[in-house]
Amino acid sequence: MKTFKYISILVMVLSISSCKDFLDIKPQGELTQEAFPTSAADAQLATNAVYATIRGWHYHSGGFPILDIMSDDAHKGSNPNDALNTVGPYDNFTHTSTQDGLDRWWSTLYEGIKRANVVTEKVPLIAMDTNIRSRYIAEARFLRGLFYFDLVRAWGGVPLVLTTTPPLKVPRSTAAEIYAQVETDLLYAVARLPERSTYSSMELGRASKGAAKALLAKVYLFKNDFVNAEKYALEVINGTEYYDLEPEFSHANSREGEHGVESVFEIGAFELESALGNQYANTQGVRGTPNRGWGFNRPSENLRFAFDAADPRMDATIIDLGEVLDGITIQGDGTTPDFVYDNNGNIIERECYNQKVWIPGTNTASQFGHNRRLIRFSDVLLMAAEALNENNKPADAHIYLNKVRERARNGNPAILPDITTTNKDALRDIILNERRYELALEGHRFWDLVRTNKAAAVLGPLGFVSGKHELLPIPQNEMDISQGTLTQNPNW
Amino acid sequence: MNRKLPNLLSFMRIIMITTVALLLSAGSFAQTQVRGVVTTAETGETLPGVNVVIKNSTRGTTSDLDGKYVIDLQAGDRFLIFSYTGFDTQEVEISGRQTINIVLKESKMMLDEIVVIGYGTVRKSDLTGSVSSIKSEDIRKITSNNATQALQGKVTGVQVTTTSGAPGAGLSVRVRGVGTFNNSAPIYVVDGFILDDISFLSSGDIASMEVLKDASATAIYGSRGANGVILISTNRGASKAGKPVVTLSSEYGMQQLAKKIDLLSGKEFATISNEIRPGSFNNVDAVPNTDWQDLVFRAAPMQNHQLSISGSTPATDYYVGIGLFQQDGIIPKSNYQRLSLKLNNTYRLFNNVTFGNNITVAPYQQRNAPGVTYSVYRAQPLLEPYYADGSFGVVYNVGNPLADLEYSNSFNNGLRGVGNVFAEAKIRKDFTLKSSFGIDAAYNKSTSFTPAYTVYNPDGTASQQDNQFSNLNKGNSENLNWLWENTLSYIKTYGKHSINSVAGFTMQKSRSEFFNLSGRNIIRDDSDFWYILPAYIMDEANNINTWQSIGNGVDAGLYYSMMSVLARANYSYDSRYIFTVTFRRDGSSKFAPENRFSNFPSFAAGWNIANEAFMKEFPILTVLKLRASWGMIGNEKILYLNQYSTVNSALYAVFSNPDASYPAATYSKSGNPNLIWESTTQTDIGLEVGVLNNRLTGEFDYYRRVTNDILIDLATPGHLGNGQGQRVTYNAASVLNSGIELNIRWRETKRDFTYSVGVLGSTIYNEVLAIGGNSGIDSVLMGGYLGNGQPVTLSRVGLPIGAFYGYVTDGIFQNQAELDAYPHQSLAGIGDLRFVDVNDDGKINGLDRTYIGSSIPKFIFGINFELAYKAFDFSLDLQGQTGNKIFNGKDVVRPDPYNFEGYLRDRWTGEGTSNTVPRPSFGGYNYTPSDYFIQDGSFLRLRNLMFGYSLPDKLVEKIKLQNVRFYVKGTNLYTLTKYTGYTPEIGGYDVLSNGIDNGVYPLSAVYSVGLNINF
Repeated sequence: MKTFKYISILVMVLSISSCKDFLDIKPQGELTQEAFPTSAADAQLATNAVYATIRGWHYHSGGFPILDIMSDDAHKGSNPNDALNTVGPYDNFTHTSTQDGLDRWWSTLYEGIKRANVVTEKVPLIAMDTNIRSRYIAEARFLRGLFYFDLVRAWGGVPLVLTTTPPLKVPRSTAAEIYAQVETDLLYAVARLPERSTYSSMELGRASKGAAKALLAKVYLFKNDFVNAEKYALEVINGTEYYDLEPEFSHANSREGEHGVESVFEIGAFELESALGNQYANTQGVRGTPNRGWGFNRPSENLRFAFDAADPRMDATIIDLGEVLDGITIQGDGTTPDFVYDNNGNIIERECYNQKVWIPGTNTASQFGHNRRLIRFSDVLLMAAEALNENNKPADAHIYLNKVRERARNGNPAILPDITTTNKDALRDIILNERRYELALEGHRFWDLVRTNKAAAVLGPLGFVSGKHELLPIPQNEMDISQGTLTQNPNW
Repeated sequence: MNRKLPNLLSFMRIIMITTVALLLSAGSFAQTQVRGVVTTAETGETLPGVNVVIKNSTRGTTSDLDGKYVIDLQAGDRFLIFSYTGFDTQEVEISGRQTINIVLKESKMMLDEIVVIGYGTVRKSDLTGSVSSIKSEDIRKITSNNATQALQGKVTGVQVTTTSGAPGAGLSVRVRGVGTFNNSAPIYVVDGFILDDISFLSSGDIASMEVLKDASATAIYGSRGANGVILISTNRGASKAGKPVVTLSSEYGMQQLAKKIDLLSGKEFATISNEIRPGSFNNVDAVPNTDWQDLVFRAAPMQNHQLSISGSTPATDYYVGIGLFQQDGIIPKSNYQRLSLKLNNTYRLFNNVTFGNNITVAPYQQRNAPGVTYSVYRAQPLLEPYYADGSFGVVYNVGNPLADLEYSNSFNNGLRGVGNVFAEAKIRKDFTLKSSFGIDAAYNKSTSFTPAYTVYNPDGTASQQDNQFSNLNKGNSENLNWLWENTLSYIKTYGKHSINSVAGFTMQKSRSEFFNLSGRNIIRDDSDFWYILPAYIMDEANNINTWQSIGNGVDAGLYYSMMSVLARANYSYDSRYIFTVTFRRDGSSKFAPENRFSNFPSFAAGWNIANEAFMKEFPILTVLKLRASWGMIGNEKILYLNQYSTVNSALYAVFSNPDASYPAATYSKSGNPNLIWESTTQTDIGLEVGVLNNRLTGEFDYYRRVTNDILIDLATPGHLGNGQGQRVTYNAASVLNSGIELNIRWRETKRDFTYSVGVLGSTIYNEVLAIGGNSGIDSVLMGGYLGNGQPVTLSRVGLPIGAFYGYVTDGIFQNQAELDAYPHQSLAGIGDLRFVDVNDDGKINGLDRTYIGSSIPKFIFGINFELAYKAFDFSLDLQGQTGNKIFNGKDVVRPDPYNFEGYLRDRWTGEGTSNTVPRPSFGGYNYTPSDYFIQDGSFLRLRNLMFGYSLPDKLVEKIKLQNVRFYVKGTNLYTLTKYTGYTPEIGGYDVLSNGIDNGVYPLSAVYSVGLNINF
């Protein structure tokens, strides 16, 4: 029996010596980060992934269109009880640091930043075509600038992360530091991105030089740097790349104008209720019949009556019950009252929907195919007008302002006359109002009011408190997790 | 030639006869027989089943029903050894006698039975750990597909919860509380093979089950022992009176819904609807009254049959078992059946070497009903199940459960094979070398098909219950796990010193893979067409969303390898002082190389006080033992992939017009490469007492388990870019479980009358000691998600794991003055619940949510009563728990108008009418998660009631049988509880969701008849 013992001891010794291999099991079907990105193909995958972020629901102000709901353009929407305590508070500025959506928006913007950082940090190390490599990095920096621009506008100074391996604790930078980073990224992108027309038609939607310039112009507007805002807006308008207004106002956001002349930067999406679609429009889509969505972001009475009488953009912005769109009669939602009155019998809300996200089609999924336009050419024209007025060039401002009004007029000489005033303050207000008519429910209004210091006056009656509501509160979970590293915004 | 042949034949015949005669006569000289009767010293009764073995040989027999034995002797046989559990073993010199009658004395240490422990056995008196055993009769008493259920109410410190009444559904088993936020199920060791569950085992094949609870007992299983170990030995070959034993048992039962939920009738619902929305129903007396529970639940049969043949020859022990378990569910279209084949053999090769096998093969089939329990609960009672034309009636907001059932086709088929082969060699008398290699292979195939169907509104339009395209899901999974264990044991007694030790080396590898596929719009509905062609997966033409309908991967919990060394020494001095030291070192592929190995030691001591000289004065005390243990054990049941930082390649960018998708990939969340095992430190102090010759026995234990480095998924700062809701796993929580266990039994035999009464109980104290680290990670764990995604449990320091979390209510706002006087949410009105301003800030908001109860019982208990008189036997088992709360999750989620529970009859209808049940509403404010939905989950259940009758021996002998017994039995006949749901036993999908009733498959009461035959 001794042999038995020796054999087993031998077996044990042999087994132990091979133990290292025996216990080495690699994860199956999972690529680990050490091994990516390492090739030209990887570089493209990593760059594409940054774009995947902006099609995600959370990217769009955390999912619900809270920027419009916080403005005078819209109410919460849906039926009265739906999301009353989650989204409802944004409508009257009773939201708190634990409000639904804040953490989604915050963390998703940083997720996008991380994806951009993967490209800026790892792609330079890949041996590949240097032109394409340079473009990928510029695309990533454009998108990183876009994400930080949202962060700084929503929260002010935030933690600045430019690497894929940041420490667990990063304090807030100042708003100026974040703006400086946005400017650096976008200038880099402006220098290296190709013009839109040099992309193949199959790649329409990638960041272009024009998009970078337009975004940069907007950044300068928010910094009150009107000289640079004018410079970059006019470079887009008068540059070699052809941008123009869609002849038909409604086409600027509809399926007809996707990747069209007016589209400076837009987010492509399939008409599918999957990762390939975008739930942004479904969130705001007609509730009930036809069932296109949840019906959030209800246009306000204030917006309805702000339009000049007979401005066709009102009808193109608001879907009313009974309206027939693309042959479909809008019946609306049974659980939503058609009208809500105050104690004096005045209408304070009525069931209506955001027409800018409407997509013709036969089912709910079609709504997921709306290509959200992040930057439209008419926005660039109005940015130019605004900057020119601030730079004391009212005559030049009139050119671009009236170009927008002309299209809106739609050939009807009786309405929307050209603006001729040269009074700087009056013209500033006119341009701001024009932005409202032109860009209503597209997420601009709240920030336009804040940056022009008009928020307290306009939104005060809705609950806006000066010195507090210009910024959102840092999400409470981020405050908690940071264990003292993050400081809350003033008065929150 | 012709003449010579007969002569030759007759010559040969003579030689043969002579030879045989010589052989026979030689035999009669050298081989004798010994026979005799075995009786007990105490009562003088004959003892059946006593082992009679010839010393230094493998030959032996057992005494028959009358205590008689006969054994053949060979030359050189000198001694006979008589042994029987609970009696002192006797060695007798044969000295040429042909009749040896033996009187066996009941063992002084009645508890001195052999207890199976990890990698060995030990005498009960030498045991220093906390180990509870359950008899095989008790295992068979329970009508269930899973033998683990027999532990419920029978073993202290073990809580077994039937999480669903569905046929073939699993159990939730907790040993000594909940020790982790992760998988807190014990491991099972079947004939030495380490497994995660034993659903494949027929209870008829099980010889014994022991639950290892403290560190002294579980540390030998190292990284897998922290949540307890359940050791199972299956039947091995044994003969009775030298003949094979055939056992046949057969049981047939009928199941019924144990309890209906009190829901409103049509008229009551209409009345309340009119209160909520005046004018909803013009004539409440004219509305239909549909009892959806009656329409869905049915009586359903179940049966369990087992045939086994067992025998022993000098060279071989064999056991063959065939079991069939078949159960239909009380919800139509649910059933389970399992065939189990068991083959356990032992071969004695030489004097010192045996080898053998334990093999179980169990094919099974399961059909799953759709989750109609919830819709039955919600469906309005004034809706018709069918229209006059026989089509399904529309059930608004819920869907007609009868239509759901009609169109449901969901199946699981599979095969589980578990087996090992082993060889054992005795070396130099005291050493035993054993090597065992085993395989656990599981294959499962799932198919689920729903045809396209529509339930139409009365006006002919489609209702919400509209499945436009047929869907088909097919899944395959396979798991192969091998384990190779080598142990060397040394058992020796020198005078007063006795040593029982073992050391070993083991290797294991487990692989599990799955593949599933979904398709839509299958060309025909017949099962012949339930295959997926590519066209059904990618249906762009119909704009059918089919992305991500292909799943292919590994089960990360079951894809690993392990290597371990282990050792244990048990030393006993004079059967008075006992010491045990255990050690295991585990290495696992689940962790990064630098964290891969870990050590698990334990130390224990015992003192048999009753064996001390000074205790001779107290002969009433048969057993008095004090024991204490300490040790560290681990839990490695984690998803190891969390250590890796992986790349997400399921992303797309969308460019171009028309849309074109571009593949994308980037870093997903960061893993945590520093993950290590969860480790549990457990201390146990136990006292064992036997009084009056062990007629009264008691066992008391105090335990304290602290689990550290619990793996939890914590939120990380957003700026890391992990993405919304992404969590990273950290070893960052600690949990304490402590409690007292007691088990007292009285048993007595008086002539024809035997009875026993057992009482057992365990207290559980559970507290989270730590969550989160000191930098940049979260410090609370939310969980327990309701149907609408709302979390209702919050685990934080100082509370039990998975504590319920919500508003505290304090009556109803009776009038405007009260409403004005108290802080309230804007939605609250008169007649609504009053939430307490817990933080006293004058506002009712999320900050006022607080601890409102725990699903962990404070006390679990069982009471068992057995009685046998002549041919009759009777047993009764009660079981229960107190102090646990249930969150009535199915009541709270009300996005649409649903039926209500009967308690709404006592609703508030005006000032002073009720201060407990608010005014009715179809949802909204009053359905905010609060303690209003918390119910007391304490219960006392009549778990088993059995009455048996055995045919008289004489009659049985006439029909050439050994034992024939008939019985009737009731399972779960009655439950005393205040809980309004089907059953107060509510499990959960994880430890953070326990005790939330989101509409479980109800428990059934079972009435059965059965028959046992031995021959």
